[in-house]
Amino acid sequence: MPVLKNIAAIAKGMSITFMEMFQPTIVENYPDGPGPLKGAKFQARFRGTHVLQRDENGLEKCVACFLCAANCPSNCIYIEAAENTAEQRVSGAERYAKIYNIDYNRCIFCGYCVEACPTDAITHGHGFEVATFNVSGLIYRKEQMLAPMPAHMGANAVFNQDEIGAGAPAVAVQGS
Amino acid sequence: MPDVNITVDGKKVAAPAGTLLIEACKNAGIEVPSFCYYPNLSLQGACRMCLVKVEKMPKLQTACTTVISEGMIVATNSDEIRQARKSMIEFLLGNHPLDCPVCDAGGECELQDMAFSYGAAESKYMEPKNHKEEQQWSPVVYFDRPRCILCYRCVRVCGEGMDVWALGVQNRGVSSIIAPNQDDHLECEECGMCIDICPVGALTSGAYRYKTRPWEMNHVGTTCTHCADGCKTTLGVRRADTGMEIVRGDNRDKSGINGDFLCIKGRYAFDFAHHKERLTQPLIRKDGRLTPSTWEEAFEVIGSRLTEVRDCDGGQAIGVLGSTRTTNEENYLLQKFARVVLQTNNIDHHRTADFPAFVSALTERPEAAASMRDVYNAPAILLIGNDPTEQHPLLAWQIRNNVRLHRARLYVINSQPIKLRRQATSFLQIPTGAEAQLSSFLAGQDSAIDALLSGPTSRDEWISLREKLRSEPGLVIIFGSEIRGSDVVSLVKSASGIHDVKFICLGDYANSRGAADMGVYPDLLPGYQRLADPGKFHEEWGGVPRAVGFTLPEMIESATAGKLKAWYVVGANPVGRLALDPFAFSQSFVVVQDMFLTETAVIADVVLPAANAYEKSGTFTNTCGDLQLVKKAGEVTGTKSDFEIIVRIAGSMGYDVRKLVPFGRGMTADMGQSRGAQSGEVDRHGVWLEASGLELKMSPFDPMAILDEIQRLLPGYAVSRMDLLAGNAQHTALPAGKAGALHDPKLIVPADNNLFSSGTLGRYSRTLNSVIENRHKKPEELEVAAD
Amino acid sequence: MADLVSHPDEVRVVSKRFGKGATNIDRYLELDGYKAVQKALGMQPDAIVNEVKNSGLRGRGGAGFNTGMKWSFVPKQSPKPKYVLCNGDESEPGTCKDRLIFEHDPHAMIEGVIIAGLAVGATTGYIYIRGEYRYLLEIMQKAIADAYSRGYLGKNIFGSDRHFDIYWHGGAGAYEVGEESALMESLEGKRGIPRIRPPFPAVVGLWGGPTVINNAETLASVPHIILGGADWYANLGPPKNGGTRLFCLSGHLEHPGVYELPMGYNLKRMIYEVGGGILNGRKLKAVVPGGSSTPILSPEEIDVAMDFDSLTKVGSMLGSGGVVVLDETTCMVKFALRIMKFYQHESCGWCIPCREGTDWLKKTLTRFHAGGGLKKDIDNIQYLSENMLGRTFCPLGDAAAMPTISIVKKFRKEFEEHLDGRPCPFEKQGKIEELPVMV
Repeated sequence: MPVLKNIAAIAKGMSITFMEMFQPTIVENYPDGPGPLKGAKFQARFRGTHVLQRDENGLEKCVACFLCAANCPSNCIYIEAAENTAEQRVSGAERYAKIYNIDYNRCIFCGYCVEACPTDAITHGHGFEVATFNVSGLIYRKEQMLAPMPAHMGANAVFNQDEIGAGAPAVAVQGS
Repeated sequence: MPDVNITVDGKKVAAPAGTLLIEACKNAGIEVPSFCYYPNLSLQGACRMCLVKVEKMPKLQTACTTVISEGMIVATNSDEIRQARKSMIEFLLGNHPLDCPVCDAGGECELQDMAFSYGAAESKYMEPKNHKEEQQWSPVVYFDRPRCILCYRCVRVCGEGMDVWALGVQNRGVSSIIAPNQDDHLECEECGMCIDICPVGALTSGAYRYKTRPWEMNHVGTTCTHCADGCKTTLGVRRADTGMEIVRGDNRDKSGINGDFLCIKGRYAFDFAHHKERLTQPLIRKDGRLTPSTWEEAFEVIGSRLTEVRDCDGGQAIGVLGSTRTTNEENYLLQKFARVVLQTNNIDHHRTADFPAFVSALTERPEAAASMRDVYNAPAILLIGNDPTEQHPLLAWQIRNNVRLHRARLYVINSQPIKLRRQATSFLQIPTGAEAQLSSFLAGQDSAIDALLSGPTSRDEWISLREKLRSEPGLVIIFGSEIRGSDVVSLVKSASGIHDVKFICLGDYANSRGAADMGVYPDLLPGYQRLADPGKFHEEWGGVPRAVGFTLPEMIESATAGKLKAWYVVGANPVGRLALDPFAFSQSFVVVQDMFLTETAVIADVVLPAANAYEKSGTFTNTCGDLQLVKKAGEVTGTKSDFEIIVRIAGSMGYDVRKLVPFGRGMTADMGQSRGAQSGEVDRHGVWLEASGLELKMSPFDPMAILDEIQRLLPGYAVSRMDLLAGNAQHTALPAGKAGALHDPKLIVPADNNLFSSGTLGRYSRTLNSVIENRHKKPEELEVAAD
Repeated sequence: MADLVSHPDEVRVVSKRFGKGATNIDRYLELDGYKAVQKALGMQPDAIVNEVKNSGLRGRGGAGFNTGMKWSFVPKQSPKPKYVLCNGDESEPGTCKDRLIFEHDPHAMIEGVIIAGLAVGATTGYIYIRGEYRYLLEIMQKAIADAYSRGYLGKNIFGSDRHFDIYWHGGAGAYEVGEESALMESLEGKRGIPRIRPPFPAVVGLWGGPTVINNAETLASVPHIILGGADWYANLGPPKNGGTRLFCLSGHLEHPGVYELPMGYNLKRMIYEVGGGILNGRKLKAVVPGGSSTPILSPEEIDVAMDFDSLTKVGSMLGSGGVVVLDETTCMVKFALRIMKFYQHESCGWCIPCREGTDWLKKTLTRFHAGGGLKKDIDNIQYLSENMLGRTFCPLGDAAAMPTISIVKKFRKEFEEHLDGRPCPFEKQGKIEELPVMV
């Protein structure tokens, strides 16, 4: 009875379809969801665009040791170092990164830079909307990645480009 | 010495008696770690890293102080030894600041390496660390005190190696600290040897501090462009928006003739290359003003004017001035260009030593020219004139170390109480200018002695010195530019009886000897071959003008008379240096190739921005005749090497460059990669090559093509190309037979550079100037010298 | 001037002129002074060396090397001048014997140096006195001047054809300079840092010449050996440990002081008989047998003969003879800290383990004693000390490590009582006795 056999097979197959039809939807409603994240949800471990952290005094944690650049498999980190002076103190140690660029054309978000960082200066944020029509816009400068001043110094930590879009200060307030 | 047999880790090792255990192990390929041990410096036994187990000894022994003895059985790798080394690292890391991420030594730090090799990754240290503030000792030396591990290498290299003794130890116990000789700063020769030898990042260089990290740079071992000793310096370069920036000079590569040594100029004075006044565009005089222009326009102007002068007034109306800081290939090419393309022998350079006289004095035995290595190994040295500590730092280092380590006898005869007298077996002072009489006296003319007697030295002492020198086999005689012309001949004659005697004639600039060897003379061809007898050159070049050309003073005379219609100056500043009347050349068409708008460049009609020796490849010959490779390290966009410029001028004059540069023959040239050409540069060449109907694969801009010709035509330069390319110094031989000439001694003008000045280059070096200012002298007060 | 003590068990050899005004040269001559050197002038150098060798005299500075043997290493022929050095840089905490010799019997020192010079063929001697003993320099200067004025020093001493000069030299306050090669560096005007050995001082010493360097007490014993004979001296003590020794009893004792007792004297008897027992009848806690560098002994271990070999058997050392007695009120952590403070202060800083190890241990012990100790610190203190032991450039590192190791081993319980932020249990009982260590 091949016909019956075929019908049974179809019924079996469709039963799964119908069963799933009444299960709750697990697809995220991005980008039509509510809030600044437009419905996107993140695991804490998600590796998004980088954030350069500050210490509790608002000084940059990055001391321009170049270990992230040395470790980067896609060679996308460019740093120029300079020395702190008494008048202009940028980082906590003797040296700071005068220029810190990440080329997101090349970055593969592997997280090796974060692993390598001896001062926990570079971390992965949750920013993911990096698409652009202009390739040169994918080279992020230090100012774009730098965390704002710590909370007690006048700002909340922002780890996401979208939060900036939602009103958080994009560039840290210097000297506060 | 007979060999002593020992057993290290079960391996049989034989080494000469008296060898230290650590050296014997090293030679057998067994690594024994150490901080304080440094070859050729006094022993310390302070770091306790080299502890090894010697059988029958109750305690662990330091391999750096133990001399091997027959039948010694040594273990270097037991648990006990590893634990001992680990604990030393633990002790050291206790008070060490562990600021590796910002430390300049991070990545090339011996303490890091040892911590990596011997564990101690987890710290047991929970106490507050002792901290002391960082100090600046001089514009170029900084001392970060907590990083210091007290290996005393700096103290020893400064004292024993440099004979400066500017560093010492203060306090005791855990507050022990290395301290400079002047409370809080250094007064020394600023050689930076202490920085180089520091195993950690305690001593850091003011020029390089916090700029980058070692692995971010490319390291190019090249020959120093300052004095005539030819030290090998390793330049750390990194990308910059103007090309390749040199950020550090050091002595990472200890394989050069200088071994461990570098002076302040080799280490720091590379920064002239990035001076803001550096020319990066050709300048053409339009309406009386030098106006930025393009290379094409500049070549066109030069080509047409030079052709016009040559064709209308003949080669006699063109003068060429070569450089003492361009490579051998460029010097050779320049004189070939002058003789073959411009049809003139009017070519000269700033002479700082009488090499032609030296050659003619030694035609009988050309092998008697000593190399720089000979200075370190000679059993006895006679130094006449010059002050090597100031003018030839490497030579002084070799002499000092030869005296210290080999107990060589040093005889110094000078009109000044120079510093090397401290190493001398005997020091005899003579009146200023009495060097000529000295060489006649040494040659046996007793009547000349009266001119030497104004000092405290008696007649008998002079005679006994002469006798003593005659019984010094293997003597190396070093003389400065005080001895010229026939004095050189009589000095050489005076030593004719001494077995295995050798000579060194001291020039002043990086390639003074090379310029002389390459025939940048109006009467001498390459290899000091006299113009009257051009031999191979005549055939090879298809004719050489026969008339002897003008020397530099004659060129000026001719220009003043309005007869010299064109003057081509390559990398020299005679107006600034020799105080020429700048209006002497007002009727001539003047072309200057230089890095900066020098006193000579401002009178030019066309100024071409040239690359310096750190930005091109080729070879240098040091004052002893040691040939070394110059490798391209830095690059400044907009400049061209003198080599390329000369070829391009010849091209613009309608000359077939294939005849000028025999590329594609002999050892084949390439697209420039062997010269360290950057990718854009290769493309740039490619465009011109294709436009000129030349094969893209071979380049007439490749100095190696000219080196082929030099090696073919100059027997003394026929050294191993393989060794040369590997970065080893090759001693060239002087020409034998009819070569050299006795010139007017007045043509020689010493450069009189000291440790902190280096002609035009020094003027544009911020580091050198800051050191000079720091020494309470203004740079303007120092004599301005040209290159 | 310190008061002199005495006890019937004493055998007075070196100290026989103490308190008898022997600083005066006439008085010294009355007390058999300068007889030994005159006898030695009539002896062959080899005979003097053999006499000292046979007497069993061992170095009183701490290492206990046979003195005659040391002299015999000096080469007979030498292109460079030979020297005799008297090491009076007595700085070991708990030791104060040389001070008494300089104070009461300076001429014996001169005599000893001359005899050593005659034995090895030296014509110059140096007496190096600890910087802190500045007041003794005057006594010594006067003694040397007197000896010169009588013709006992200088050209043709005692009318013979021999010459001998003695110079005095004051230290600048460094424990490290008690080490013989560091003393030579100091004498040459350099930093007091030990030299690499070999070559040993007997071959290459002061100014590069062969040098005999001996402790002050050793040299002061030599005249007595020459006069009394080797056998007499050797029989005063047990085999291989000839003679008598100045023991410096200090700490919690009823009668502390310097006593001259035969070698091999029982330590227990020394404490309870000679020293008069523990202060205020308290109980004994520990004994330092030979200066602060030596491993300490617990009360169970003190029934031991005080000679070099017997103490080595119980895991300690005779050292320089400074016996420090600690009673039950002593906090051993504080004692360890006090010792470490001394060595941290005195470390010359030349080699890593001593420079960094003493500093580290001092910091840890300070924190530990203040109540910030962790359990792992106890092991760490031991670990660090063991890694210093035997690996330093000179014995100073060992001197710091050995007592620390023994204290942690024998008094671990007291360390544990300091843990968990508890205050020092001994300070609770009210007043803590000041630590009985002389620095």
